[in-house]
Amino acid sequence: MEKLSILPSVLSPASAQADRIVSLTSYFIVAAAIVLAIVIGSLVYVVIRFRAKPGDKEPAQFTGNKVIEGFMIGVPTLLVVVFMYLTLDTMADVLPPEEDTRPDVVITGHRYWWEAAYPGTEAIVANEIHLPVGRRLLLHINAADVIHDWWVPALGAKMDAIPGRTNHLWVTITKPGVYDGACSEFCGTQHAWMRIKVVAQSEADFRQWVARKEKAANPVLSASAQAGAAFFSRQPCGSCHRIRGTAANGAVGPDLTHFASRKTMLAGLMENNPDNLRQWLTDPQHVKPGALMPRFSYPKDSINVLVAYLSALK
Amino acid sequence: MITDVEIPEPLAPLPGATVNTNQGLLQWISSVDHKQIGIMYLLMTLFYLLVGGLLALLMRVQLMVPTNTFLAPDSYNQLFTMHGTTMIFFVLTPAILGLAVYMVPLQIGANEMAFPRLNAFSFWISFFGGFLLYFSFLAGGAPDAGWFSYAPLNQTQYSASPGIDYYCIGLLLSGIGTVGTAANLVVTIITLRTPSMHYRYLPVFVWMVLIDAFLILAAFPSLNAALVMLLVDRQLDGHFFNTDAGGSALLWQHLFWLFGHPEVYIVVLPPFGVLSEVFQVYSRKPIFGYPFVVGSGIAISLLAFGVWVHHMFATGMGNTVNSFFAVSSMLIGIPTGVKVFNWLGTMYGGSIRFTTGMLFATAFLVEFTIGGLSGISFAIVPIDWQLTDTYYVVAHLHYVFLGGSLFGLFAGFFYWVPKISGRLYSETLGKWFFWLFVIGFNLTFFVQHILGIIGMPRRVYTYPNLAGYSSLNLISSLGAFLMGVSMLLFLYLLYDTLKRGKRAGDNPWDGYTFEWLASSPPQLKNFTLLPPVYSFRPLHDLNHPKIGDYQKPDEEKYGTKDVD
Amino acid sequence: MEQKTLIKLVVGSEAIFFLALLMAFVYFTYVPVLNPRVASSLDLNRTSLFTVMLLSSSVTFWRAEVSFRRGRTKQLRLWLLCTVVLGVVFLVGQGSEYSSLLSRQLTVSKGTFTTSFFTLTGFHGLHVLIGIVVLSIVLYLTFLGDLDDPDSALLPSVGIYWHFVDVVWAVVFVIVYVLPHFLTGHTP
Ligand code: HEA
Ligand code: HEA
Ligand code: HEC
Ligand code: CUA
Ligand SMILES: [Cu+2]
Repeated sequence: MEKLSILPSVLSPASAQADRIVSLTSYFIVAAAIVLAIVIGSLVYVVIRFRAKPGDKEPAQFTGNKVIEGFMIGVPTLLVVVFMYLTLDTMADVLPPEEDTRPDVVITGHRYWWEAAYPGTEAIVANEIHLPVGRRLLLHINAADVIHDWWVPALGAKMDAIPGRTNHLWVTITKPGVYDGACSEFCGTQHAWMRIKVVAQSEADFRQWVARKEKAANPVLSASAQAGAAFFSRQPCGSCHRIRGTAANGAVGPDLTHFASRKTMLAGLMENNPDNLRQWLTDPQHVKPGALMPRFSYPKDSINVLVAYLSALK
Repeated sequence: MITDVEIPEPLAPLPGATVNTNQGLLQWISSVDHKQIGIMYLLMTLFYLLVGGLLALLMRVQLMVPTNTFLAPDSYNQLFTMHGTTMIFFVLTPAILGLAVYMVPLQIGANEMAFPRLNAFSFWISFFGGFLLYFSFLAGGAPDAGWFSYAPLNQTQYSASPGIDYYCIGLLLSGIGTVGTAANLVVTIITLRTPSMHYRYLPVFVWMVLIDAFLILAAFPSLNAALVMLLVDRQLDGHFFNTDAGGSALLWQHLFWLFGHPEVYIVVLPPFGVLSEVFQVYSRKPIFGYPFVVGSGIAISLLAFGVWVHHMFATGMGNTVNSFFAVSSMLIGIPTGVKVFNWLGTMYGGSIRFTTGMLFATAFLVEFTIGGLSGISFAIVPIDWQLTDTYYVVAHLHYVFLGGSLFGLFAGFFYWVPKISGRLYSETLGKWFFWLFVIGFNLTFFVQHILGIIGMPRRVYTYPNLAGYSSLNLISSLGAFLMGVSMLLFLYLLYDTLKRGKRAGDNPWDGYTFEWLASSPPQLKNFTLLPPVYSFRPLHDLNHPKIGDYQKPDEEKYGTKDVD
Repeated sequence: MEQKTLIKLVVGSEAIFFLALLMAFVYFTYVPVLNPRVASSLDLNRTSLFTVMLLSSSVTFWRAEVSFRRGRTKQLRLWLLCTVVLGVVFLVGQGSEYSSLLSRQLTVSKGTFTTSFFTLTGFHGLHVLIGIVVLSIVLYLTFLGDLDDPDSALLPSVGIYWHFVDVVWAVVFVIVYVLPHFLTGHTP
């Protein structure tokens, strides 16, 4: 299915599943256009032909016609039957049951960020999620607090992340690329900034990436970054954030082990650069009001060393 | 041939029949007259339409440009919650109740509702429900979890302000009022029809109200139960929907949509009835396929209870469940199509008068079909998997709510305002209002289909500047302001009609049903004498004895004659 | 006729309300397997007794209606009084069940079972209470002589409501008390 749309959209698929949905959608668009054309066409005809003219007497008072009613019921019924069939067929293709398969990725929605773990490996990442191309992947979708919804239009169906249950999605990505997505179930104050970035890459690149993510943070630290590391470990940061290889082991906030390798921060809100990071650490509630990270009011110096440390976590 | 008959009245003597109508506000507050209560319902509707619309305009200002900071995120979230809740529970629902309470007794030839005091009670309890909902703004924050307030976001640990408690109590009160009025309407229609008005002679509007009232009686308890459970959770620390303590998030969704889906038909069936009257009278022909129009209403109301899971296609319930609800949702398109085509059939061969009311009815056919078709696209589950919870849904719901219900109500407003106020509105103003409103409406909401398709989720207080987002949102916001302007014009039109409108006379449109026999506005006692009923257009029979339906056999009255 | 139709509609609507509460209870206590706490926490014997009381109040009400149609005001008062007393006894029974649960720390916030149990039975109890109030008013009216017209729809209308409340209890009793005992093999 070639691109139907000039803008990135649900009509520019990059997975086998999204492709199936686009075919179905295009049949529907055609059918709907025909129905709409019939309604508007007959309306325009009636409006022009039967508008009252001066001197009109009461028109013939006819009240119905069984044959026409038959068509009114019959033709839409046919249409419904056809689309019923197409729908069931596509559903079975796009989202069959999971049948004890081990998931390739376990995705968990948190207020207001995404966590992705890759079972069988140590890798845990946040917000920017890499996936291999050309393989049928099973995604598990969970929620840590309220309902969220995983949606990357180019990759096909969305799926709710519901606390207390595990949902699944099948995805076979067909084209490498970076795909935008967003949380699509209202989940609170910062629902708007709970965006998703999926990086689809070749199997080899993907394996390399996972291998890098599996490693603990082990950067070469400048003096100020070392001061930052020490400061970080003294402060409560570690109760919410994990940095593998250190004592920090929290799970409330995003994993920071490889924080500096993310292009954006705060689930797509802003570019990941030292300035933005400084702003965030100075006053999180100003940068992303309602985000679940408190304001600590640290002196400027402490913030600077923190920034140096976090920016080194490649 | 035509003789007069006695008018049925409620068992108890008419309360208030001896009260002078010119005693000001107090008289309105204490009134049990169905017309005054109907008018109060409609005034409440207008008030909340302006308030809810104002909230929408604020939202559109915030969304006009990407990463706007006009509103804080929490304020935005309160706004769309209050906007949706207001529009559904305090605009559309009281509007249909108000029209029904005003018109049903008149159309069936009765002088009152069966229970006038219950009628007043129901109105006032709904009224105070709305009051309480808005009081939350002063009491620490309006509800902020969306009009369907999903669990567990509606729990105290995620929404600590008392807003959702006000939401519960406000909706419970208005829900009780709505059920009361519905029961009252059913009893009125069953027992107070003029004796010769068989069910097969009921005006279509009355039929739709009757069906609608049963829908209300069956759907609202489910909402009330859900709200009660939510209150138990929030006030008594219960665990129905508290997923942190074993509660269920999906239970709320099932209970809510078991109400919520029927609710959308609750607010659209009476407008369907209104339109059926409007199409007939302005086309100067009886409705095409009366039994099919009525029957499809019944079919819709039955199907309405079997489709609720289509709001939950993305919750991972499995393909078996989803298939069932996909099929039932698509099936609803069939009876709805029957209505659309029958209205076209009513216009066909007529002599159509394009008054403002008829313009709204005509535009309805287009807008509602667009909204209905986008509804069918959701019933096709894989499309819903892509588009649920995006602006495409926002587009759908406004096309059916405005293009469907509200256009129907406006058609009814212009059709009946001469009856209710006794005065004619200015067609010039009416047409200006119509065009501004329709153009604004399509500008605002058509582009939202595209926004959904290019990936914009709903309920976001702001959005990144991705390709297409800013221009489409700007168009949408400008359209909204155009609608705002048109609403100001509407207010002026209302003022102009009441102050300067020419006397309408009893039957300015040469209408077909009994309300046009009463004086304009009707006296406290609607009728003293009525002719007997031989068809669903009794007044047409009376005024046009040569071409009246009364002399025809039934199969001709209904167009059910076998065709050779 | 009008009153009776109205009451029937309201009662039908109420039935759906209770169905929703009942569904929540069933969902939390029967799915995926029956929660064994249900049977062991609730006192089937005592509640059976009070159930019999409530159900027999439907019989006494029926006698009241018969007396009313026959114009026997004295009997009418007696049967109405019986109905009210039986209703009150039922409420007292429910109160004692509640207090024994609460004394074992089984409060509304204990878990989904207690939350749904108290909400379901509490709302039923509220309906019984409303019924008792209405019946008392009717009883009072008989003394004022307002109920002398044997065609009055008042008593039959109240009756529809009262029988409904009893039927709801019968269903609740079976689902909340009886079935769990059988299914978990608990001997009362
Ligand atoms: C008046 C209100 C109204 C009406 C009439 C409808 C009508 C329909 N709606 Fe809509 N709906 C809403 C109000 C309404 N809806 C609202 C408010 C929401 C969002 C709630 C929220 O999330 O906030 C919603 C959401 C909604 C969803 C969930 C979307 C989502 O959140 O993922 C679905 C899914 O199936 C749906 C389906 C339908 C269908 C199939 C119809 C059908 O009844 C439409 C039938 C009409 C036609 C089809 C047009 C005329 C027919 C013909 C010309 C005949 C030929 C055509 C065919 C046979 C195809 N609606
Ligand atoms: C009857 C139903 C109805 C009506 C009429 C409207 C009318 C409008 N709606 Fe809304 N809308 C809903 C029902 C309705 N809506 C529902 C149910 C939701 C979902 C909520 C949720 O997600 O929970 C929704 C959501 C919704 C959103 C999505 C919010 C989000 O997801 O983030 C948007 C965004 O553009 C919007 C816009 C509008 C606009 C611009 C109008 C315009 O038509 C408004 C036009 C303006 C007026 C009619 C008023 C004019 C007033 C004045 C000129 C001032 C008067 C002066 C005084 C009062 C002193 N609506
Ligand atoms: C109470 C829990 C909590 C504490 C304590 C906490 N954070 Fe956070 N942090 C969060 C949450 C939640 C987020 C995600 C915010 C969002 O995107 O909505 C976050 C986000 C971040 C981010 C951005 C991550 C990304 O990928 O976008 C950084 C960097 C960060 N925190 C650093 C720190 C530092 C440094 C400290 C200590 C001084 C700290 N946090 C203390 C909860 C916490
Ligand atoms: Cu997470 Cu919206
Ligand atoms: Cu629906």
